[in-house]
Amino acid sequence: MEVKCTHCHLEFDEKVMIKEESDPSLNFCCNGCQGVYHLLKDDGLDSFYDKLGNNTIAPPLKQDTDLHKFDLETFEKRYVKITDDGFKKIDLIIEGIHCAACVWLNEKILYQTDGILEVNINFTNYKAKVVWDGDKIPLSKIISKIQSIGYNAYPYDQTVSEKKATKEKQDYFIKMMVAVFASINIMMLAVAKYTGLFTGMSADILDTVHMGEFILATPVLFYSGSIFFKGAYYGLKNKIINMDFLVISGASLIYIYSLFILFGANGHSYFDSATMIITFVLVGKYLEVIGKKSAVDTLDKIKSQLPTEATIVIDGIKKVISLEEINIDDIIEIKNGEKASVDGIVISGTSSFDESSISGEAHLVTKTNGDKIISGTINLDAVIRYKVTQDYEHSTLNNIVTIIEDSLSSKSDIENQANEMSKYFSISILSIAIISFFGWYIYDGCFENALVIAISVIIIACPCALALATPIASLIGVSWLAKKGLLFKEAKYIETFAKATTLVLDKTGTITKGKLKVKENCTKLEQNDANILYSLVDSSTHPVSVSVKHYLENKYKELVHLELDDVNQIPAIGMSATYKGMIVFGGKNKENNNYENTVYNFTINDKTIVTFELVDEIKENAKDIITYLHNENIKVIMCTGDNEKVAEKVAASVGITEFKANMNPIDKSNFIAKLQQNDEIVIMAGDGVNDAPALAKADIAMAMGNGADISIAVSDVVVLNNSLEAVKNSFYISKRTYRFIRQNLGISLVYNLITIPLAIMGYVIPLIAALSMSLSSLLVVGNSFRIKKD
Amino acid sequence: MSSIYTFMLMGGLTLGFAILGMFIWGAKQGQFDDGDKMMGGLLFDSQDDLNDAINRENKREEAIKKSKEKSNES
Repeated sequence: MEVKCTHCHLEFDEKVMIKEESDPSLNFCCNGCQGVYHLLKDDGLDSFYDKLGNNTIAPPLKQDTDLHKFDLETFEKRYVKITDDGFKKIDLIIEGIHCAACVWLNEKILYQTDGILEVNINFTNYKAKVVWDGDKIPLSKIISKIQSIGYNAYPYDQTVSEKKATKEKQDYFIKMMVAVFASINIMMLAVAKYTGLFTGMSADILDTVHMGEFILATPVLFYSGSIFFKGAYYGLKNKIINMDFLVISGASLIYIYSLFILFGANGHSYFDSATMIITFVLVGKYLEVIGKKSAVDTLDKIKSQLPTEATIVIDGIKKVISLEEINIDDIIEIKNGEKASVDGIVISGTSSFDESSISGEAHLVTKTNGDKIISGTINLDAVIRYKVTQDYEHSTLNNIVTIIEDSLSSKSDIENQANEMSKYFSISILSIAIISFFGWYIYDGCFENALVIAISVIIIACPCALALATPIASLIGVSWLAKKGLLFKEAKYIETFAKATTLVLDKTGTITKGKLKVKENCTKLEQNDANILYSLVDSSTHPVSVSVKHYLENKYKELVHLELDDVNQIPAIGMSATYKGMIVFGGKNKENNNYENTVYNFTINDKTIVTFELVDEIKENAKDIITYLHNENIKVIMCTGDNEKVAEKVAASVGITEFKANMNPIDKSNFIAKLQQNDEIVIMAGDGVNDAPALAKADIAMAMGNGADISIAVSDVVVLNNSLEAVKNSFYISKRTYRFIRQNLGISLVYNLITIPLAIMGYVIPLIAALSMSLSSLLVVGNSFRIKKD
Repeated sequence: MSSIYTFMLMGGLTLGFAILGMFIWGAKQGQFDDGDKMMGGLLFDSQDDLNDAINRENKREEAIKKSKEKSNES
């Protein structure tokens, strides 16, 4: 029978739940939940469960015990700011929040802590601002408090671009709301005006209504419309007629003409049309801006920490310093699990390193005295000390970052369809209006009549549908992609994706899982031997041991954990122990060098019981996906830093005919540049630091979500679930969305082809103009909703 | 007759713009930046929560006062 955990509300079998003697109604799935429940109860915060309702939350996260780094001077200098009142302030991201109740709980428990003065947690992006009195409480205690209730917090640097994005969003929001407010009220006045057209209205009342419309339309054109004025100005500066120019020229001409009507000329005013053009298009732009911001927020949430500090050893004493303070010949110590921040040479210790992020090789590399350490690689086994050969600025990792920055500034923007169309559209409409004006003037000699008809042509041409065609469809496409685990940083990338001709794939971590897995082995172990091996690997966190452990758990039932003695981890070699007088060993020995893959030997008393070979497994459905891409006429090329033999094997197994091996980061980037010179539109998918320069060069960069931070930062699309299926989905959805964008543009064109002749013939009255504007926008929006298929 | 309509129109617009002005003030203060918090605000309206909010403000003002006294002394 399944019961709910009293804290997290997740359901589990009643038999595995932790129960309490004092209160049998309580059920807990783990010690973490139990601990947090009692903490909340003791602090009088159990109303949290009322606010939580029936929602579930995640069980408490594993705590990071190394909190002293939060109190270090270098940390404070980088992340902590001082408010005007002399208190300390920091921006944090809170991990583990699922709902409003979680936010309430975090705010409440922090406010209850002595010394904390202000806590403001943003529901949408989980960013928290904390202000505290540095004399009363250290930051490490604040983080510890958050962790005690089952969440985690890490600092983040609010970049200048982010502050700008927040300000831009606020700015757009206010301008949009002003335009919407004015539109609603102008429409009410317009009802009166149009009714008056049919039933008759005295001139002075009509003047009053016009005056009201003028007062409402003016802030819309000059305040809300300032966005379009700026966009049109920058476009003209670069000699481009863009959508903004189209929108603002139409709205301004209408406004000026209506001013003439207001001040006494005969005819109808069109203030409502001018306002509606601005409002509709601004709503479309606002939706794009919030889409962009939410993409940035999601990325901040998944970003893991880049190394910002290093431990140096001076005369035997360890000290933590920031990366910029590292000098050549300093001795740096890195523990297992840490990333090397600068290049150097090992002086003491032996360990295995994961270099896949830099070199592309999935197999672990042993480093010992005299071997080179590359910045950005991860130490897996044991503590190592190495002498610095390059300071941070000149280290491999930073060099790659510099190359990326250069590539990014020269990246070309593929113009979107709507902008291309708007050039011709504007010129055509203006030409038709001028021709109509002269045509009618010559025909009946009446200047005013000719002017009205010319203006009507411009109004009815309504750029709304044209301007909305792309943003609405792109946004629906982007949200559909997001549900499939694909984060498009900007909606405009959908069009570029749909136009792509070539896909360049990295191998390790993109086509393959990037993790070593035990190859299926015919040798069947006896249950006792399996138990011994299981107990040996269970005591290690080394990736190879973990892979062997998973293999045993899948293949053998009823494994028993035995008590081993003298368990000893031999760095870069393996593990040894004794069991009932027998010497047990698991790891690699000298003969294994003949194998091309990583090998794990299990011996008892020097007799080999079994040898496992570990390979980097290919992701599910990889072959089908490559076949699909080939059917869609997308050229697929594999580029890897790994050797020719391994590359050939992997390419053959997934059906890729063209591949390049032994490529360093610069080679990959140059290869993409060459493809682009042949007019190919290139999409690059990768995850490691060695992919980052190529990603920066490609027309669209796709990074795997669990990849290197640099790759994610430089990419246009992030694959959150790391699956290749997502690559297939992105092609399918992008192409479908692009088809609908073109349909929308087609709809707006056909619409204009019908209504412009009506205007030329003089049949357009303000009512028709206003209705046509709304109808065309509705058609485009309605058509866009058909994009998503379940 | 039309002067009444003019008066009504101007009165209505003035009121409308006053409300719009208040909205813009609130938006510039950042009250609308967090859409979800605004919509989920119902959860934060109990008497306890409101009392807490007042206590927090008092706590903050006291802390500022104390730090000002400290800096005057030094």
